Amino acid sequence: MNENKRGFHIDMKLAQVYIPMQLYGETFEIKQALRYGTLFPELYRPFPPQNTME
Amino acid sequence: MPNQNASMIEKLKEIMAVDFAVWELSLFLDTHPEERKALEDHNKFVRISYQLKSEFESNYGPLRLDCISPFPYKYINSPWPWEIEY
Amino acid sequence: MWYYEKKLQYPANVSKTDLNMAKFLYAQYGGPDSELAAAVRYLTQRYTMPIPQAKALLTDIGTEELAHWEIIGTLIYKLTYGATPEQMKNAGLGDHYSQHDNALYPHDAAGVPFTASYIASSGDPIADLHEDLAAEQKARATYERLITLTNDTGVIAALSFLREREVVHFQRFGEALMLVQEHYQHKHIFY
Repeated sequence: MNENKRGFHIDMKLAQVYIPMQLYGETFEIKQALRYGTLFPELYRPFPPQNTME
Repeated sequence: MPNQNASMIEKLKEIMAVDFAVWELSLFLDTHPEERKALEDHNKFVRISYQLKSEFESNYGPLRLDCISPFPYKYINSPWPWEIEY
Repeated sequence: MWYYEKKLQYPANVSKTDLNMAKFLYAQYGGPDSELAAAVRYLTQRYTMPIPQAKALLTDIGTEELAHWEIIGTLIYKLTYGATPEQMKNAGLGDHYSQHDNALYPHDAAGVPFTASYIASSGDPIADLHEDLAAEQKARATYERLITLTNDTGVIAALSFLREREVVHFQRFGEALMLVQEHYQHKHIFY
């Protein structure tokens, strides 16, 4: 696993959960954001799952 | 459903979109309090929201009980959120 | 304290009366993985969080869940609006109608009333945050099932919004967990 990517800890321990901290980047236009349910393209997980990003 | 005002609903939806951006950014800032760009964007949308709400309230009445109200107390009237056809 | 704003977080509409769907939606109005359970859980756990980021996040997400509870309530209200007792009975809401008429009530899709047993507040922030992560996944999964149970475009739009919020909340709780774990590591508390 690439430990340097996105703030992953350099030494991951056993018996502990890790989640990458989100980095602030692109945001949707706000009307679209409201429709989708998030401002952030990287957090958008449509259901049913789609093959391409809208 | 009671009679409604189409332009009021449009204005309300604009406010919903801006307030959603504020909210989403606030959650991000809760865990990233030192993210400068996020904070700038948050504050920018807060100002826009304030602007839109002042305008909305002077036309359509208070959105909260701590808003200035004309006589008679207008907060109790104007459609309640579950009664509006969006 | 809490202030109320006369505005839904998302503009929730329904296309027509649908009592069957209203019954299913009660899962998220008063069930174990409902918005109400989430609100009570987070707003209860927040007092014993050890770092400001977690106190803020649990307060804010807890508050947002109340707004989501309002959206589900609105959907149910609109889906049952004007329903006759006969229609309620035929849709399996006869039990509900006999005790509540056309009013809402915090129970689940099977009529089981809401209980605090749905939440835990363990006092251990690590355990609490893991529960919160699980809660968001369960809510997300419930929304996916609810979406497949209807064709109403208005209902689907609102449920899709609510489902995506669970995804975002999961990420935030995960971040809070990282920060709390880091906090304990710096204090040299091993577990």
